Amino acid sequence: MFQMQDVSKVFRTEMVETHALRDLSLEVKEGEFVAVTGPSGSGKTTFLNIAGLLEELTGGVYKLDGVDVKALDDNARSKLRNEKIGFVFQSFNLIPDLNLFDNVDVPLRYRGFGRAERRKRIESALERVGLASRVKHYPAELSGGQQQRVAIARAIAGDPKLLLADEPTGNLDSQMAREVMQLLEELNASGTIVIIVTHDPEIAARAQRNVHIVDGVATDLERGPALVKPKAAEAKAS
Amino acid sequence: MHFMPILSTLRRHRTAAALIVLEIALTCAIVCNAVFLIRDRLSRMDRPSGVAENELLRVQLTGIGERADAQAITEQDLAALRTIPGVKSAISINMIPFGGSSWNSSISTKPDDRDAPVNAGMYMATGDIVETLGLKLVAGRNFNSDEYVPFDDVQSETKGIAAVIVTSATAEKLYPGQSPLGKPVYVMGSTPPVIVGVVDHIVRPNDANGIDQRPYSMILPVTVPFNMGGNYLLRVAPDRKQEILAQVDAKLDGVDPRRIILERQTFAQVRAKYFEQDQAMARLLLGVSIALLVITALGVVGLASFWVQQRTRQIGVRRALGATKRDIRRYFQLENFILATMGIIVGMALAYGVNMWLMDTYGVDRLSAMYLPIGAGLLWALGQIAVLGPAVRASSIPPAVATRSV
Amino acid sequence: MIGYYLDLARRSLRRNVALTILMILAIAFGVGASMTTLTVLHVLSADPIPGKSDQLYYVQLDPRPVDGYKEGEEPLYQSTRQDAETLVRAKQAERQVLMTGGGAAIESQQVGVDPFNVEARWASADFFPMFDVPFVAGGPWTAEDDDAKARVVVLAKPLAEKVFGTTDVVGRTIRVESNEMRVVGVTDTWFPTPHFFDLNTGAYGVKELLYAPFSTSRELKFGRNGSMNCWNSHQDPEALGAPCEWIQLWVELSTEAKRADYYEYLTAYSRAEKEAGRYHRPPNVRLRNVMEWLEHNQVVPNDARLQMWISLGFLLVCLINTVGLLLTKFMRRSPEIGVRRALGASKKSIFTQLLVEAGMIGIVGGVLGLLLAWLGLWAVRHQPTPYAALAELDTQMLLATFGLAVITSLLAGVLPAWRGCQVTPALQLKSH
Repeated sequence: MFQMQDVSKVFRTEMVETHALRDLSLEVKEGEFVAVTGPSGSGKTTFLNIAGLLEELTGGVYKLDGVDVKALDDNARSKLRNEKIGFVFQSFNLIPDLNLFDNVDVPLRYRGFGRAERRKRIESALERVGLASRVKHYPAELSGGQQQRVAIARAIAGDPKLLLADEPTGNLDSQMAREVMQLLEELNASGTIVIIVTHDPEIAARAQRNVHIVDGVATDLERGPALVKPKAAEAKAS
Repeated sequence: MHFMPILSTLRRHRTAAALIVLEIALTCAIVCNAVFLIRDRLSRMDRPSGVAENELLRVQLTGIGERADAQAITEQDLAALRTIPGVKSAISINMIPFGGSSWNSSISTKPDDRDAPVNAGMYMATGDIVETLGLKLVAGRNFNSDEYVPFDDVQSETKGIAAVIVTSATAEKLYPGQSPLGKPVYVMGSTPPVIVGVVDHIVRPNDANGIDQRPYSMILPVTVPFNMGGNYLLRVAPDRKQEILAQVDAKLDGVDPRRIILERQTFAQVRAKYFEQDQAMARLLLGVSIALLVITALGVVGLASFWVQQRTRQIGVRRALGATKRDIRRYFQLENFILATMGIIVGMALAYGVNMWLMDTYGVDRLSAMYLPIGAGLLWALGQIAVLGPAVRASSIPPAVATRSV
Repeated sequence: MIGYYLDLARRSLRRNVALTILMILAIAFGVGASMTTLTVLHVLSADPIPGKSDQLYYVQLDPRPVDGYKEGEEPLYQSTRQDAETLVRAKQAERQVLMTGGGAAIESQQVGVDPFNVEARWASADFFPMFDVPFVAGGPWTAEDDDAKARVVVLAKPLAEKVFGTTDVVGRTIRVESNEMRVVGVTDTWFPTPHFFDLNTGAYGVKELLYAPFSTSRELKFGRNGSMNCWNSHQDPEALGAPCEWIQLWVELSTEAKRADYYEYLTAYSRAEKEAGRYHRPPNVRLRNVMEWLEHNQVVPNDARLQMWISLGFLLVCLINTVGLLLTKFMRRSPEIGVRRALGASKKSIFTQLLVEAGMIGIVGGVLGLLLAWLGLWAVRHQPTPYAALAELDTQMLLATFGLAVITSLLAGVLPAWRGCQVTPALQLKSH
């Protein structure tokens, strides 16, 4: 379902070349719950951006649901992102000018569903996160935890196969954080792959697998370093 | 003080900065040229006529059918008009300054000269033009009463014209550097009249021969009836104009009711009518210039507001690091000054280019250099006024935003 | 999807009403001003006699003395009476007319209407069929009337109504300059613009209400309007042999070949006149059709062109202003765009969304611009210009106005929308 093979990412500016990821390989099967950990600046966010098709990779192969993303143009990448991936962000990233209904509606619009289909999906997604009664409210009228639940509803309304979460509990207190984690685990239980980037060891502990990234090199903690090819020393020029 | 950091910030917002510079430049170019054109029109409208404008009334009329007795009726009309209290003198004249329609002739110092040095307007009247119009005689004398001849006799060449009065510009053109008095002017007929007097100025009725040709005119002692040109000019007491105009119809009808009176005007009205298009054009140019400045100012406000909002946090950090409110305000003012200056520099070049094109296409004059600093000053001031609001708003951002998580 | 974009655009525009109004007004004023001046220019440079303007030719000859002659210079602006009458009598074109502007005093039969002056045209009989003058009653006079100097007139409808209260006046008499004249026809409202056949009396706003045979007008010494130029003195400049130009001479030639033939004929005529000693210069002939004649005379006032350029400059500034403001607005929305991109919006759909928003400003601005143009033209009609009354919006200009508004706003929208859709989804997700 999710395969990365020797993926690398190099940022270039006039002065320096930064290797954000080096030959990262990772395979995630359906139904898995993976936590990606690592210190600040280790490459976690780059990994997430590449996994979410938000950034292009410099080298290696990334296949999502059997599709090699390297060959895709912007339209196809957008479509794939829209259909296969759900995002949950640390800062929620709800659109403040839209009410809950319209916020959840955004990805469905780009999906091209009809009106009835969208309504059904929006209502059921909000139902699942327990906010069905507040469709007309605006994000600013909600607490942080509620906002994050809306973001999750938005992420799952399109039935993605892969849910990417970037420190989803980072801006929440522990009670709310627990609720959000519970939701993610429920989703995972119904078959969605969840990849969560966090530096919270408690959350990492709840995942089935832990991948640790340091200086752009990933180590799979559960299955041991054997799966990861340690080619860190060779900095690729291309 | 902030010069370099501002430049590097602007470089990062290249597109928006370029747009505002371009807008200022275009506004500068258009406004410079518009102000110049307005000035040009206004100076046209200020053109001196050489006549006692404040004391003149004009009555325009036309007869019905062929009139053998036109000259006699004219004399009766003038006599009747002179009886109105407040009327100092009255004449029947073939054309009037700023009247539109004109009589012209090429004149020369030699007979049958194909390359005549000047084409001049020909004023002819039953009555004394010099006195009635209040012309200033600068040399020689006015016509003697025995010098006047009827137009029909001149036309049929039964009588010649003995004398002519010219404007000083005409005299200078015909006899440069010499006294023109007693010298001949070849105009119509074979015997040339001689110059007996020189008047300071009387403008021609229109610009048909070109604006620079307007001071060339002459006065001939030829009497014309009311149905030739159809103008009565009255020299009156300035404070009685309206009451006199109100009596004109009755006086003329008393002589002969079978005439059509077309206009009863003060000279101010004649002048206003003649220049109304120039005035309308000047007003339009002024309107467009103001609209342009307003639009540009609003554009500056919009962009500055956006930048202030975008840099809220950065401003908070600067404040936290010790920048005073004044520093922050100054930053945005200086930024605007830099943008305006760039716009003005491009605008100057553009203004010059537009003017070259206008000179080529529409024959306007060369833009005098004094309009460039006017345009520049205007846009600098405009920019500073426009940016003041956003700059003050920026300076009132509290340092605490630096520590607030967004 | 367009429905969604329209909805988003509406929300976005309502969020910052002041900015939206500013952009709409900028477009509206720019478009309004441009369309006002373009419409004025459009009516001023219109073909005054469509369908026939390429078959009507203005004749110019050169009977002046030889001194001062420069090769290739323009011939005389108008014709002498002698040449005009000779060429009309020669009938070498399909139709030919000689004419001059004039003025006359009319005494009305209506009680309480004082005598009044009208602008008139003294012409030969071909005038009416040649210029397709429409009649509501009666018709033109004939060539025989010309020869007989008949006391006949054709009235324009407004004059007939003023004098008689009706247009059904064929056969009745009217007093023109104290002469009893018989009405043979009444024209329908016909004031071609520009007044191409005689530009001396003004290219615009000329309303001639009375027509009489040229021959009759000379016999009765009716007043003459226009310009007269004499190169030698003469006792009576209006006489047949006088060395004065004051007549307009037009001919109708339906094909290019006939034009060439007539040109040859005029050249031969000039040569013959020179041999006879009346002409002194080598043949110098011009034959211009209506549009060429108008172009040659540059009838469209420079002020009107200048105004058009100023208003286009104004529109350009308004356009740049709107581009800047839209860019600002769209860049301010970068976070939202980033989120939308992350949630699956392609660059294309973001571009479309933003362009729809810009287009909406354009359409509202366009409608408003149309109103402003209409208002502007109303203002022009109250200006002291001779062409004031002509400033009306026709369908063509109406559509052009709207088109200009939409094109303007799309132009204004393209750069900001393009920049907006370049927002990378990854960058904007974390920071606000």
